[in-house]
Amino acid sequence: MSELLSYLGIVSLCVCLLVSLAQIKISYLKSNANYINYFNLSLIQFVSCLLSFLILIYIFITSDFNFSLVYQNSHTEKPMIYKLSGSWGNHEGSLLMWILILTIFNFMFASMSKANIRLTEITIGVQSFLILGFLLFLLLTSNPFSLLSESPNEGLGLNPILQDPFLAIHPPILYLGYVGFSLIFSLAIAGLLLNHIDKNWASIVKKWTLSAWILLTAGIGLGSYWAYNELGWGGYWFWDPVENASLMPWLAGTALIHCVSILEKRNTLQSWTVLLSILTFALSLIGTFLVRSGILNSVHAFASDPTRGLFILAFLLIVLIASLFIFARKGPFLDKEIKYHLLSRETGILVNNWLFLTILFIVFLGTVYPIFTDIVLNENITVGSKYYIFSITPIIFLFIFAMIITPFLNWSTNNYKILIQKIYKPTLLSVILIFSISLYFDKLSITEISLLILSSILIMANLNSNILFKNNSLYLTSNIGRALTHAGFALLIISIIANASYAKEKITQAKVDDKIIVGNYDFIFSSISQKKEKNYHKIIANFEMQQHSGTLKKLSPEIRFYNNPPTITSETSIARMLFRDIYIVMNVPENQEFINVRIHIKPFMNFIWVSILMMMIGGLFSISYRIKNS
Amino acid sequence: MREPVKQRIIKLLIGASIIFVAVLIIIFNLRDNLIYFYSPTDLVEINLNNNQEIRVGGLVADNSLKYEENSSTYRFVITDEKNIINVEYRGILPNLFAENKGVVVEGIYFGANNIIANKVLAKHDENYMPPEVIDALQKEGKWQGE
Repeated sequence: MSELLSYLGIVSLCVCLLVSLAQIKISYLKSNANYINYFNLSLIQFVSCLLSFLILIYIFITSDFNFSLVYQNSHTEKPMIYKLSGSWGNHEGSLLMWILILTIFNFMFASMSKANIRLTEITIGVQSFLILGFLLFLLLTSNPFSLLSESPNEGLGLNPILQDPFLAIHPPILYLGYVGFSLIFSLAIAGLLLNHIDKNWASIVKKWTLSAWILLTAGIGLGSYWAYNELGWGGYWFWDPVENASLMPWLAGTALIHCVSILEKRNTLQSWTVLLSILTFALSLIGTFLVRSGILNSVHAFASDPTRGLFILAFLLIVLIASLFIFARKGPFLDKEIKYHLLSRETGILVNNWLFLTILFIVFLGTVYPIFTDIVLNENITVGSKYYIFSITPIIFLFIFAMIITPFLNWSTNNYKILIQKIYKPTLLSVILIFSISLYFDKLSITEISLLILSSILIMANLNSNILFKNNSLYLTSNIGRALTHAGFALLIISIIANASYAKEKITQAKVDDKIIVGNYDFIFSSISQKKEKNYHKIIANFEMQQHSGTLKKLSPEIRFYNNPPTITSETSIARMLFRDIYIVMNVPENQEFINVRIHIKPFMNFIWVSILMMMIGGLFSISYRIKNS
Repeated sequence: MREPVKQRIIKLLIGASIIFVAVLIIIFNLRDNLIYFYSPTDLVEINLNNNQEIRVGGLVADNSLKYEENSSTYRFVITDEKNIINVEYRGILPNLFAENKGVVVEGIYFGANNIIANKVLAKHDENYMPPEVIDALQKEGKWQGE
């Protein structure tokens, strides 16, 4: 049975490989191929890949330890959801999922494309080239279906820190985002080859860019939520190289969304848009390379193998050099120059594009420099998070400033009078509001106060001009998507500042019945207990959180002792309240009568998650508005 | 219809100098915030300024872990089997922290082989050894792994 499944899994991947070759050929011949051809073929690509992926899931669910992959990453005692997520929680499985998502986008594009036939064919050809590359990578270096010569009775288990519901869905969503940008890349190459980068191209690209952007945002958000809940360090973003690897395509992709708008409305900036499309996908590939090659020594890099790294690096270089070669030959002749006033919307968006790229450069440098010194100078260094904070903060100022004024500027002409009319009220209100707040909260620095004022103006100006009350009912303007996303970004900045300035932390030891005071809260350590679960046993410390002698909540952080593989993890216990989270982690030192406890009070945590959701919902509004109007 | 050459050159120069200054600021900022990794032996061999933020890795020396209850401070010794460094840490030690196991700490160097750690880096399973620690041990020929 196992042999048959292994055989079937590999054969279906080979079918997908052959069909991808056929797709490339169709796009290469100046063909009389028609819709039916590439549509059917992309369906076969998708179905064969799906079959292979379903087999992978099946062998994980049934814990078939004849497969070396299952043996290394699973265990019969593991709960079902983690058997399932275990199938993509490893290098081979995640790569297969990456390819599956490539074929999904390929198929969706083939069935939904309203672009002209040649553009569609070539886009699918480029997409199939990417599928081909990754399939070769999978089959040659990382076969997920390789069998063991002897079948063990039990597997080695999945790293418990990865056994978390959010981490189960984080990789699929993140990959949907990464791979979504592959389609933009394919469209860009196809458009270049056909000299077809125009308003029409932009309106096709915009929808797909928005979808990929929403998914990538969700993926990053979920990863951050997982780190906050599971790692027990009390933070939600660590400027860890793996986090940076997902942030970089996000930055480039966000810049891309804005510059596609200029192309769509004004038919200019052709070559810049194409370059950003290539850059965004290249950064997605670099992200994969950094994480999968094991070149980063990071908590996340759970798969590492130098030959695999070399393969991805070689593939990345081929893709990059080939696309830049095509770009160099075609790109410079695409641009249609138009004139616009210095104080026009074009300028605003371009300024923002440059700021995006500056932040991207900062993150890139901080991520890649330690790798460089390690390989070239043999020096082992880490970049402190202060580097990112000090470098990025001044740019955020300019950034929010440009975000406030740009939407109120006209395309191509100057109309500062309308701008002033639209923003003077929000500005006055925000200045008064933030100053009165800062009298009460005296810890805020000038930098923080000014950032808060700018963010507050951004929120008010956006909501004020896009949510209208007329005749006792509520109207949303067609720009509500953008307004929500921008307001969400401002809320994110506000929450980050509040969170950083008013966080409290206390580290102490505690015996049963001790009382720990942090801020306005008392924490009574009421009892300690033990419990046996299916695949671990745990020690639970029970705390009562009190304020003015009334019990508000019970908190029970845990220590879990897993057997397979033998690992100890700390589970945080978090009381989520509207304006603050109370976060407790503990551990039990050997041969001591007390436990160690760390208590964090973290203001505005909920607002961080809400602001990310707001940005995504804004994106959804924009897409649905486009679909309705097309 | 292109602009006159002179105007374009001026624009280009302004652009280039803005980029140059920005990159310079960023690079200086990066240099100020780099945290170097040292083994205990490195620390003996080079003369490091006090109050510098560094990372140190090695094994936690046998019988070196002490806990001072009134100040909630841990003290332990990191060794690469040749030289040692004393660590002082107020905080929660990671679950898998143990004597004779590898560890990496990040903190402020206080001269005379003392470091006040603000982070003791977590390991995620029993068999994992931070690559830096392997390096540090290999240098002294003390690494016994594969």
